[in-house]
Amino acid sequence: MSKRCEDVPTLEVRNLTRFFGGVAAVKDVSIAFPPKRITALIGPNGAGKTTLFNLICGYIAPTRGEILLGHRSLRGLKPWQIARLGIGRLFQDVRVFGKLTALENVLVAFPNQVGERFWEPVVRRAQTLKMQRQNVERAMALLELVCLADRANTTAENLSYGQQKLLAIARLLAMDAKILLLDEPASGVHPAVLETVMNLMTSLAKQGRTVVFIEHNISVVLEVAHWVYVLDDGEVVAFGLPDEVIHDRVTREVYLGV
Amino acid sequence: MNYLFHILVMIGIYVILTQSLNLVMGYTGLLSVCHAAFYGIGAYASTLLMTGWGVNFFVALPVAVIVSVLLSFVVSIPSLRLKGDYFVLATLGFQAIIFGIMYNWVSFTRGPYGIPGIPIPTLFGFAFDSPASYTLLSLGLAALVVTFIYLITSSQFGRVLKAIREDEIATQALGRNTVLFKTTAFALGAGIAAIAGSLYAGYVRYIDPTSFTVAESLFLVTILAIGGSGNIQGPVVGTIILVLLPEVLRFLRIPDTIAPNIRMMLYALALILVVIYRPRGIAGEYGFE
Amino acid sequence: MLLQLLANGLCAGALYAIVALGFGLIYRTTGVFHFAHGAVYTVAAYLLYLFGATMGLPTIGAVLIALTGAAVSGVLSEVVVYRPIARRISSPLATLIGSFGIYLFTVNAIALIFGNETKVLRPGVDITFSFGPIVLTRFQLLAFLAFVAVFVGFLLFKRTQLGRLLLAFADNPMLVEVLGWNTSTLRIGVFAAGSILAGIAASLSALDVGMDPYVGMSALLMSAVAVIVGGVKVFEGAIVGGILLGIVQSLVVWRLSARWMDVFTFIILVLFLLLRPEGLLGKAVRLEEAR
Repeated sequence: MSKRCEDVPTLEVRNLTRFFGGVAAVKDVSIAFPPKRITALIGPNGAGKTTLFNLICGYIAPTRGEILLGHRSLRGLKPWQIARLGIGRLFQDVRVFGKLTALENVLVAFPNQVGERFWEPVVRRAQTLKMQRQNVERAMALLELVCLADRANTTAENLSYGQQKLLAIARLLAMDAKILLLDEPASGVHPAVLETVMNLMTSLAKQGRTVVFIEHNISVVLEVAHWVYVLDDGEVVAFGLPDEVIHDRVTREVYLGV
Repeated sequence: MNYLFHILVMIGIYVILTQSLNLVMGYTGLLSVCHAAFYGIGAYASTLLMTGWGVNFFVALPVAVIVSVLLSFVVSIPSLRLKGDYFVLATLGFQAIIFGIMYNWVSFTRGPYGIPGIPIPTLFGFAFDSPASYTLLSLGLAALVVTFIYLITSSQFGRVLKAIREDEIATQALGRNTVLFKTTAFALGAGIAAIAGSLYAGYVRYIDPTSFTVAESLFLVTILAIGGSGNIQGPVVGTIILVLLPEVLRFLRIPDTIAPNIRMMLYALALILVVIYRPRGIAGEYGFE
Repeated sequence: MLLQLLANGLCAGALYAIVALGFGLIYRTTGVFHFAHGAVYTVAAYLLYLFGATMGLPTIGAVLIALTGAAVSGVLSEVVVYRPIARRISSPLATLIGSFGIYLFTVNAIALIFGNETKVLRPGVDITFSFGPIVLTRFQLLAFLAFVAVFVGFLLFKRTQLGRLLLAFADNPMLVEVLGWNTSTLRIGVFAAGSILAGIAASLSALDVGMDPYVGMSALLMSAVAVIVGGVKVFEGAIVGGILLGIVQSLVVWRLSARWMDVFTFIILVLFLLLRPEGLLGKAVRLEEAR
């Protein structure tokens, strides 16, 4: 699968702050996520990493600060509008569509389908069917990519956790997301799946997309990430090349409380 | 023989009703208890057009559908923001309000006195005045409705609805305006229910508000829960049970005075058993789990 | 005139408040939308009829039986239906549907046994009491007194250990479990208590105007409206909501007509759901947290 992705805009947050009651979950965070780069966000639980994702994706509103995609501000946009701009999200709790088959999970993710507006399957029958056929082929190809082709007709709730994660990633690929925000893509999956996930991340970045991921698995970070940010208590406390950051004193303090 | 035709006509009407609620409840996952209100709005709209303005049934029907769709926005736009129990309560509230208006706005709807003398539907001179011909009308419309629903639910539109039912947040993350989809599904459900209402009015030729109560809405939900929802078969199974059960009771010589109560008790028991042991109903794909 | 209307509304609202408190107690503590509360109400009324009228027991005895029957019905709902559902399913809507099933079954069974017509418990003209410009029937007075008793009882109960435990349970059931309390027993207790309250209201209403198998639906709907209007998260909300509902209905009947009373009540419900879902006594949800 080689789809070059040109001109992906840089996703950037500036002075992003979000209070819950009196507590700042995200405090004055400024990070730029340029294309072709795999950025890792690490830090202890509660550091604000998932909140940062939720802010970018529009599920919660910032108290202060800016979220920019290229020159365009994302503040005030609804989650579905932000997704349409090309920002894809992998949730920590995966969130596959349980009663839909693996194939249907991927099918539903393709954007701009004929047959999506309720009159089209009736009035534009031929085109609807044609696009459906094409999408089924594309979906099967994606399922092949994540090694789930033999499970195409299994309902998602009957897949293992690791398989569901792969399915969610296939969904993101179907969406043709330019910027991928992955929340713990490596957690709870066994080595073979992990290998596939890491390879996907690398090839996606090579295609020109932006990959950002939250992880607790440091070896994965060391293996795939081009750049790392360390968050603690809602703030960026360190950043840089993975090797340097991971072995840095500040990071150790943050994680081990030394 | 006439009795068989009567059953078939009722099957047609209830297939349309249950399939339309299925679109809202089974595919989109919205537990709406105001469906009988739209059934009633359809019945009253077409009746008033036919009796008040002499409009032909086949013109009144689409107008009734449009009226029902427009009124559905009054319910859906504010209510769809609410979650879980609160959404259900809001639909219950609207059902009660709409019933109250039907019952109390006597100058417009004749309230509890009902509207008699609904003319027989005619098309280009052909009058559907025999049981056989009305059966054709009813089953014909039912077939059209089922075909329509099948077409839209087996395509991306239906897939998105099911995705919303499974996980609305994940569906938004795929770039879909879930509020728009939910509102559309609700509107389609209301519009199709209006078809059933018009069909009912043209058949019994007298309507009053007591056919369109909270109890009727709850009853539709019960039928769908028992038969199943989320696919095409479930509501059909539900409708068949609904229509056949009274016959079974009659066969068992259960007296007519207590038969309705016994029927309701059986439905209630089936409902409880279904919810505990088989949430997706007899033939359905989806249950509230 | 206005005073009389207010008094009538207050007494009607008193009954609403009692049954709503029962409903709210259950809803807030267990999360169950106990549609079957209406069934419990009906059971109590008909037990009163069966033992009071048909069997001729003295009223007090019949009322006690009715209250016991109510408590048993409520507990049975929990044990026979809600618990099996909870073991298998997490969706609250499933419990709502199951609860409706209980209501449907019970009410139709009662209609089967006793018939659909209205039953009256004591025919004849009522004894009335005068308080200045206001005239109250014996049952209006009883309703008000019962309400005061329930209200005071509830306030006192909140101060007891059990009361505080229940409040904690409503906020955080898991914490209570961790602290060593048996949550299933607590739930049963809550259902029993809530059902007894329904039974009290049902008995008073039955003694006053009689009953038919469908009074439970009305009681349930009023409970739900009262709880939403008053506020779900605060137990007193049901009480405030109930009283207000009674008074507003009385005024609507005077100003508009009896016919529009129901419509008005449900318009109020919908308005509160949309504009102030936390109710009158609830704390306003902060805009940023509401997203």
